[in-house]
Amino acid sequence: MNPARYLILRPADLIGLALAVAAALVLPFLVRDDYSANVLVLILLYAGLASSWNIIGGLAGQFSLGHSAFLGIGAYTSTLLYNYAGISPWLGMLAGGSISVVLALLISYPTFRMRGVFFAMATLAVGETLRILLIYSRKFFPLPYSLSIDYQPGLARMIFEDRASYALLAGCYLLTCLACTFVLSRSYTGFYLRAIRDNDEAADAAGVPVRRYKLIAFLVSAFLTALGGTLMAQYVLYIEPGTVLSIELSVDLPLMAILGGIGTILGPLVGAAILLPLRETLVEMLGGAASGAHLVLYGFLLILIVVLLPNGLLGGLDRLRALTRSKPGPSADAAKTAGVQP
Amino acid sequence: MQAILQLLVSGVLLGGVYALGALGLNLIFGVAKVVNFAHGEFLMLGMFAAYWLMTLTGINPYLGAPIIGAAFFLVGLAFYAGLMRFTIYKPELTQVFATLGLSILLQNAALVAWSADYRTIQIMPAGWESIQVLGAYVPTNRLVAFLYAVAILLAVLVFLRSTFIGRAIEAVSQDLVAARLMGIDPDRVFLMTFGLGIAITGVAGGVLMPSFYAFPSVGSFFVLVAFVVVVLGGLGSIAGTILGGLLLGLVETGIGYVAPDLKEATHFVLLILLLAVRPHGLLGVKGAEKETLK
Repeated sequence: MNPARYLILRPADLIGLALAVAAALVLPFLVRDDYSANVLVLILLYAGLASSWNIIGGLAGQFSLGHSAFLGIGAYTSTLLYNYAGISPWLGMLAGGSISVVLALLISYPTFRMRGVFFAMATLAVGETLRILLIYSRKFFPLPYSLSIDYQPGLARMIFEDRASYALLAGCYLLTCLACTFVLSRSYTGFYLRAIRDNDEAADAAGVPVRRYKLIAFLVSAFLTALGGTLMAQYVLYIEPGTVLSIELSVDLPLMAILGGIGTILGPLVGAAILLPLRETLVEMLGGAASGAHLVLYGFLLILIVVLLPNGLLGGLDRLRALTRSKPGPSADAAKTAGVQP
Repeated sequence: MQAILQLLVSGVLLGGVYALGALGLNLIFGVAKVVNFAHGEFLMLGMFAAYWLMTLTGINPYLGAPIIGAAFFLVGLAFYAGLMRFTIYKPELTQVFATLGLSILLQNAALVAWSADYRTIQIMPAGWESIQVLGAYVPTNRLVAFLYAVAILLAVLVFLRSTFIGRAIEAVSQDLVAARLMGIDPDRVFLMTFGLGIAITGVAGGVLMPSFYAFPSVGSFFVLVAFVVVVLGGLGSIAGTILGGLLLGLVETGIGYVAPDLKEATHFVLLILLLAVRPHGLLGVKGAEKETLK
């Protein structure tokens, strides 16, 4: 049996592929003004990060609230290596990813014994512990609270003059994350992960190596999130524990995935493309970001979304499609069990 | 010797405070199997309620606790009727993010309404901020909060054991299906539980107010402490909450003596280890951590 046969593109996949490629590789050449370019970079970057979260949170159904740990490791590793050893962020990125993978492996031992909200609480604690330890470590290392990267444009330094280049970079990152999600979700791994997500005891009873497949999803997710952390550091050129290791980030990523459609391939992109401009608009409408007024509305919207659209926009679309079908016969049910749709 | 006694006293007092802060969370979890991520914000609102009660009417929160409790009972009813009712039979993901959303909403609404200033109130008259017991220094604010914690915990235990609605709450907490078969309406029980849980949380915030600063994001500190206490003592176990609070208070005071900056990290490390080793806690029912309503 040829394992690659599961990766054959379906007609709907082609549309999705076209959309993703257009967003990631064509839009960067089209935006002209600085403001939209900035929003585009953020959307593509966060979409990539949310896709990374989606691999463990959506495909495997383990709601991590500690992804800031991986993102922070990615950002800090590459920045420290660049600032203190002159190592190119392209290599630092891989180093950060590797460290993230090691951390994910270590915390998988205690956390994989839990599920649902307890996994969420434990991973939240991991992210927070890392932030506190990083701040505490300054007692022993001459590490400043925040790190800045000198603005010296250059491809090897991963610093660019124009935002379009950053957008292109973030676009490539997003496509990498989407490709990983696609391969994972359409292969046997994806079937196992969905089985684990829906009922881990049944999956275990049916002979699915639960721990191994959860771990695969967790490691891939941690690695990709760390890559995004490096990208974020290179774009903002400034990091501190309060930004790249914040709880807000750990909440934002799942939120985007949920809004778009948790467990779907393009859901995180859709979620990011709606949420980030929405938040920017709210900040503008309701005055400065410090006042918190926009976050009141943001919290309200979050509640509305999860209560009214628990499967996200793409999930809602699927349901609409299922409803409009002449007869919701066995084929519709089969589609439902197959789960992930682009 | 003197230092150890001091650490013990401080640890036990802090532990009582933590137990009180976590009780509402555990009650709601035990019955409705909902982990309320907005718990800290209700505590924060309780603190502000005490602040405004004191500032506007001069009633200090130690005397005004019943007023705060009554008001927060209504808040709890509204919380259930307006939001949690729609998520209670939904997947955990919905509950986690609905309460997270509420947490963001309340925290920032408080920020808009009251700004990020740190507020505190002074209740004990000058000279009575602390008393000496056997040479150990005992802050009176903490002592009163501790006594409140003991009183409320006892009251809740008596309420659950000896009133009709209390027994109905216990029944639903133990077995939803069986309770329903006995003619108990779970939705009314959930409503009452949320009212009670939030009322306790509001009172907790109120009596903690004189010994902690109130500011909009103070809840995010307390919610994590409450998680640790609940997991430590036992999910759904009221007595476990006391034990968990005391243990955490003692551990934190001990660590704080050695390395003050690591106090918060101890919470999290303890949480991770506990969830891994004994997820149902010291006094919890085995398997409680796997329960959902479905």
